[in-house]
Amino acid sequence: MEFTALFLAVAIVMVVAWWGTRTLALALFAATLLVSIATYLHHASDVLKLSF
Amino acid sequence: MTRSLAVTLNALGLYAIALVLLVAFAAQLVLHELPCPLCLLQRIQFAMLAVGPILNLRFGPRTSHYAVSLFTALAGATFAARQILLHVMPGDPGYGSALLGYHYYSWAFLGFAAAIVALGAMLLFDEQFREVDEPRPINAFARRAVWLVLALTLLNVISTLLECGFAACSDNPVAYELLNSRP
Repeated sequence: MEFTALFLAVAIVMVVAWWGTRTLALALFAATLLVSIATYLHHASDVLKLSF
Repeated sequence: MTRSLAVTLNALGLYAIALVLLVAFAAQLVLHELPCPLCLLQRIQFAMLAVGPILNLRFGPRTSHYAVSLFTALAGATFAARQILLHVMPGDPGYGSALLGYHYYSWAFLGFAAAIVALGAMLLFDEQFREVDEPRPINAFARRAVWLVLALTLLNVISTLLECGFAACSDNPVAYELLNSRP
């Protein structure tokens, strides 16, 4: 569900960037990027089996 | 680099992003491979890469618009690198099919790396940032690029809704939740 919401958020950012104001588009972009990074951190729970 | 050339290159960038989203869709529909959560996050970052070029087409090239794309490409490369590291150990078959010898997340990492290089190259040319008195009309080539990327992003909204439904997406999806069938 969160990925559907993120794709929808990106589409909204595109629409605002094309038809809306620049400031609002940049603000929505920043919010969407932060949420996508938070989603990544939430899912990146598997331990990497690496040794260096 | 003139302002109009920069605008044309930004439109071409949008077509390149559309091509990446189309190939991902083709793999999903033709090879019947549903994208995993990390794969979806990388697709989302590819779609977000389009925001910078769209702003450049609408408001004219600005360094802040290229920064928007740079942050997105860095996040996307990080997500792809994480998936590469998850499958890097000897004997691990990787996730999904390989395309021309590389899995999709390896191609995604190369794509985001290429975007970072291209954005750095674009920022080298100051002439495009010079203010103009009259805003130039946006041509059909650029308008079509925006519509194409927007349509593909909306198709991803529908596809992801069908795949994940209204709950958390499966780590290893094999069927569309809302259709309750295999792809």
